[in-house]
Amino acid sequence: MSTNNYEPRIVVFACNWCSYAAIDLAGTSRKLYPPNVRVIRVMCSGRVDPQFVLEAFKNGADGVIVAGCRPPSDCHYINGNIKALRRFTLFKRLLEELGIEKERFRLEWISAAEADKWVRVVNEMLEELRRLGPLKAEAVSV
Amino acid sequence: MIQEPRVGVFICHCGHNIAAKVDVKQVADYAKTLPNVIVSHHYVFMCSTVGQELIREEIKKHNLNRVVVAACSPSMHEPTFRTAIESAGLNKYLLEMANIREHCSWAHSDKEAATEKAKDLVRMAVAKASLLEPLEEEEFPVSPTVLVLGGGVAGMRAAIDLAEWGFNVYLVEKNPTLGGRAALTGWLTNNRRGADVVNNLINKIVDNKNIHVFTNAELVEFSGFPGNFKAKIKVNPRFVNEKCILCGECEIECPIEVSNEYQYGLSRRKAIFFPFKAAYPPIYVIDQRVCIKCGECVKACQYGAINLAEQSLTLDLNVGAIVIATGYDPYHPPKGEYAYGLHNNIITLFQLERLLDEDGPTQGKLIIGGAVPKRIAFILCVGSRNTTPSSKNYCSRMCCTSTLINAIKIKEKYPDIDVYVLYQDINTYGNDETLYEQAGEKLVKFIKFEKPPTVDISPEGIVIDVYETTIQEEISIPVDALVLSVGMVPRRDQNELIATTRASCGEDGFIREVHLKLNPVEAPTHGIFLAGAVTGPKNIIESIRAGSAAASKVATLLSEGKVRTEPFTANVNEERCSGCRICVGLCPYKAISLREINDRMVAYVERALCMGCGTCSAACPSGAMQQYGFKDIQIMAQVVAATGGGIK
Amino acid sequence: MSKPVLVIGGGISGIQATIDLAKHGVEVYLVERNPSIGGKMAQLDKTFPTLDCASCILTPKMAEVLRYNNIKLLTYSEVQEVKGNVGDFTVKILRKPRYVDWDKCTGCGTCTERCPVKVPDEYNVKLGQRKAIYIEYPQAVPRKALIDYSHCLRLNPPPDLKEKAKGKPLCGACEKVCPTKAIDYNQQPEIIELNVAAIILATGLELYDASNIPEYGYGKYQNVYTNLEFERIVSSTGPTNGNIIRRSDGKPPKRIAWIQCVGSRDVRFNHYCSAFCCMAATKQAILAKELLPEVDTTIYYMDMRAFGKGFYEFYKRAMTEFGVKYVRGKVVKITERQDNKNLLLFYEDTIHSYMKKDEFDMVVLSVAVRPNRITAAPVKTDKGGFIQIMDPYMDTVTSTTEGIFVIGGAAEARDIPDSVTMASSAAIKASTIAKKCVVEQTIITSGERA
Ligand SMILES: Cc1cc2nc3c(=O)[nH]c(=O)nc-3n(C[C@H](O)[C@H](O)[C@H](O)COP(=O)(O)OP(=O)(O)OC[C@H]3O[C@@H](n4cnc5c(N)ncnc54)[C@H](O)[C@@H]3O)c2cc1C
Ligand code: SF4
Ligand code: SF4
Ligand code: FES
Repeated sequence: MSTNNYEPRIVVFACNWCSYAAIDLAGTSRKLYPPNVRVIRVMCSGRVDPQFVLEAFKNGADGVIVAGCRPPSDCHYINGNIKALRRFTLFKRLLEELGIEKERFRLEWISAAEADKWVRVVNEMLEELRRLGPLKAEAVSV
Repeated sequence: MIQEPRVGVFICHCGHNIAAKVDVKQVADYAKTLPNVIVSHHYVFMCSTVGQELIREEIKKHNLNRVVVAACSPSMHEPTFRTAIESAGLNKYLLEMANIREHCSWAHSDKEAATEKAKDLVRMAVAKASLLEPLEEEEFPVSPTVLVLGGGVAGMRAAIDLAEWGFNVYLVEKNPTLGGRAALTGWLTNNRRGADVVNNLINKIVDNKNIHVFTNAELVEFSGFPGNFKAKIKVNPRFVNEKCILCGECEIECPIEVSNEYQYGLSRRKAIFFPFKAAYPPIYVIDQRVCIKCGECVKACQYGAINLAEQSLTLDLNVGAIVIATGYDPYHPPKGEYAYGLHNNIITLFQLERLLDEDGPTQGKLIIGGAVPKRIAFILCVGSRNTTPSSKNYCSRMCCTSTLINAIKIKEKYPDIDVYVLYQDINTYGNDETLYEQAGEKLVKFIKFEKPPTVDISPEGIVIDVYETTIQEEISIPVDALVLSVGMVPRRDQNELIATTRASCGEDGFIREVHLKLNPVEAPTHGIFLAGAVTGPKNIIESIRAGSAAASKVATLLSEGKVRTEPFTANVNEERCSGCRICVGLCPYKAISLREINDRMVAYVERALCMGCGTCSAACPSGAMQQYGFKDIQIMAQVVAATGGGIK
Repeated sequence: MSKPVLVIGGGISGIQATIDLAKHGVEVYLVERNPSIGGKMAQLDKTFPTLDCASCILTPKMAEVLRYNNIKLLTYSEVQEVKGNVGDFTVKILRKPRYVDWDKCTGCGTCTERCPVKVPDEYNVKLGQRKAIYIEYPQAVPRKALIDYSHCLRLNPPPDLKEKAKGKPLCGACEKVCPTKAIDYNQQPEIIELNVAAIILATGLELYDASNIPEYGYGKYQNVYTNLEFERIVSSTGPTNGNIIRRSDGKPPKRIAWIQCVGSRDVRFNHYCSAFCCMAATKQAILAKELLPEVDTTIYYMDMRAFGKGFYEFYKRAMTEFGVKYVRGKVVKITERQDNKNLLLFYEDTIHSYMKKDEFDMVVLSVAVRPNRITAAPVKTDKGGFIQIMDPYMDTVTSTTEGIFVIGGAAEARDIPDSVTMASSAAIKASTIAKKCVVEQTIITSGERA
């Protein structure tokens, strides 16, 4: 794949209650953004196992976003978002050890009203990924 | 167990909403090429009756056992399509939706790219659908019985509303009488006292045969799940029985005298005593902490109502829900805070209320230190709003209004007394603003302070020094009596409650609700409800309302006679579970415990408590904990499909 | 079956009462005068003291209303008459024509794109525009289109156009594009008559008209806003997409002032305190700081009423963490600078006891709230116009008529937690009554042409 027509692929894990709703709202309000994202719905950001993220990178994702409700108190399940925060703070270090640039992974808090934030996050990440180019295969061959 | 997947894919045009940006025919054709897909259709409005009928017919015709609908957001029509496939005989959880409207056609402008994305979304949905399993929401019968803990206004109101609705209610109160702190609150308005409110509620309780009252009793064990909790109640001996006619002879003979907590220490009582005029049940009680069992009272009682050998007894109850309405404690100022404890004429607001109450130690006369004061001052926010080092970091909500009611009452009874109110902000919110106006009209003097005043005790009496902001000068106010308007704090014994009931407390120390705004009377653990000041400062009206609200929430849980679990709960593969306990600590609802199976400790999910967040599943190192509907393999399949899954 | 309960007003109070009743197994009619339920809360951006977004927590509740078979939702409807006694009330409800067949409308919004007529948008407190055929807002429940009769070219053509058309029907754009053929220009008003066991009044609040308060220049000075307007402009779903900009020049403000107790605690206008504006202003100042970190925010107040759970902590956080300034004092008057439309505040600082003047480029008025009037119900109101509670200590949510309950803003200025608590309290009482009344016939007449 040459870098000129490189179209980064972003896998998104979005919690049902806030972030998924925000992505819906972006659509309902006809806020346009590039089609490079694929959203997987989970009930809570606390459900996202770092393994899923690694699996996404392994299979060819160029970037991954985990999106949940705004801390501290928006999570529908009391504090799943805080658990995600802890988990992925550690995970980011692991990514770097694996040689996956930290810009390829984002943990974002997007409330159900923040369609704009969603659009901004997608655009920002795409820009980063275009700059970084495709993910080096050896990084994930483990 | 799982049948070979036979997936049907149904793609909606949503008029032009999808069809204008997504080539639906191309997507439908593409879907046919995906593994496990038997049929694929596109139609103008899948959610219409015609569209739903199409789905049902195809399920029957092709013996489909999984359905993918590519249409709008699942938040719109997932329930619609679930019902549709259910009516065709499929388990309703064998549906997966691909959101090609909100997440695709409405969000992207380029038709080619949107069509490609729609194909991906359908591929992801088919991948997950192929691995879906039928799910059951388990149903449990419930016990139509409710335990209400705490016999203050909130608890009594909850008990009455529940009983009137038709539930069987056990009302358990730690003290020897119902009534709680409201019974000791003096004036609430011009012509109503706390005791009147309490009497009214007690009368309703006495009249209702669905309510079983246990005073002098406490909850010692609590387990189980919503609809079916087990509660162990310990009823402490009262040593006096129903034969008591309240003659009071025993009290005269009793040699032990202690400070009377029902008058906030303003008077003394005996070891055998009757708490207050309206106390319920109307029976004397012996305070076992101080009784020396001398037997004087037994001799004095002509009715044989006293039995010093009475033992405590325990009751095992099976209840569907619990309402915790155990209230609060007044803030107790440490000695020396605003000179508290250094002068007899420095009292708390709670004590003042007793003094102004007809049933109080002075029969309603404002006698402090033996005389009616000529000048009296109130200091607000004592113990609240960080005013002193030992104060709490919150506002106690009711002290401003209570202070003003009492200040007005004093002015009415004794117009010549000078009344000062020293405050930071006067919190007479809503319609209570009229109290502020009235106090002003009655010439109560308000003094705003920025820095808390200091109180000195001199041979002449009590002197308050404060920086007066209007005149911008330090002033000294000599007074004959000082009332500290103390706030509300969590009960001293709250930790015991937390340990027995699984309730938890927030930063302010009060019991925490699930959601401060929309679920103010529900605890995070399902089936546990909260009423009154146990969740934070409230006045009497607010506490009573919370009592009714808690009753309503109990009825939402128990009215059907059964509870249903969430479909997407967690479930343990016991073979795989290593018993590491990681999940136990993570579950926000305390749904997971360890139990022994074949000599091994393994995790166990109480399904009725699990709310289906999946946190445990994400953390389980051995993959033993899986969330129904969101199993690792199901999500992984979506991940693989999302990234192209080799079909790039 | 038990007799149904009627809930009037679909704000958060009415929604909560309705859901509780439905879960109690009682049939409920929820009547809302607007096209969508949601009330004031649906117009809020975030909510104090947790700053969670209003739509995040409200939308799921709104959607829940649609999920129960025993909830009958009648929006764009008004109760015209209430007769009878506890256990046996007869009510007449007017269902206004929507000119769209809601059974067919899928809420796709195609029509609204095509409609040529622009009208100030009530949901955005007229800060934005909508069409003559419109869906109230993106998360509306039900999410259905309706035609605003007075602005529709077809239904109510302006005389000059009508003359030119010579009897031919005008426009009809929506009818042409609607993919489900849902447009029905001939829809008629309907009267629905119900027999219900109990009634819950949840008609809520409206803002007092700030232009009645001469000294603050609302309506005259462009950069003076009401707190509800501000709520819409900070909201990412609002008319400015969450950009705080001035009406006069579209520029972000550098200094914003909030003035508390505008029209409340004021003998000239309303005696009572509006209870939530202190915290609402605190919240709005924090939101402003989050969006515009450089902005200077000052709140002018008489007493800082931070009384609810977590409120005082919130107020302290605003000061220490976000640098919101609080000035205790009464703003006496505002004047506008001609050159840059900035505003000069003249106020008395009551902590330092002097008169002062300060300049801001935006001012937000924390305006008093008033109860929405409901004349059809046989209940007494207090001197502020709120529906009176018979005896708040004995029967905390019963109005002056047995079997009619009042909750939320209709009873007193209240924040959301207090409103939902009242809602649930009324629900248990109403369902207790309903369960005792066995139904003979609920709908007496329906679909009768008015
Ligand atoms: C600017 C502002 C900011 C606020 N911020 C917060 C905050 O951050 N946190 C917080 O807790 N509270 C906040 N509040 C307060 C909150 O909005 C109210 O507590 C809450 O909305 C009251 O809910 P309600 O259902 O009683 O009334 P409303 O929300 O007013 O709902 C009443 C409903 O009844 C309908 N209705 C009226 N009359 C009739 C009739 N005759 N027939 C049929 N329907 C009728 C109305 O259309 C409306 O939908 C704020 C208020 C304002 C104005
Ligand atoms: S899914 Fe969530 S609620 Fe259920 S057991 Fe696991 S952690 Fe607890
Ligand atoms: S075009 Fe028709 S279906 Fe779509 S919103 Fe308008 S009326 Fe409803
Ligand atoms: S539900 Fe959104 S992060 Fe937990």
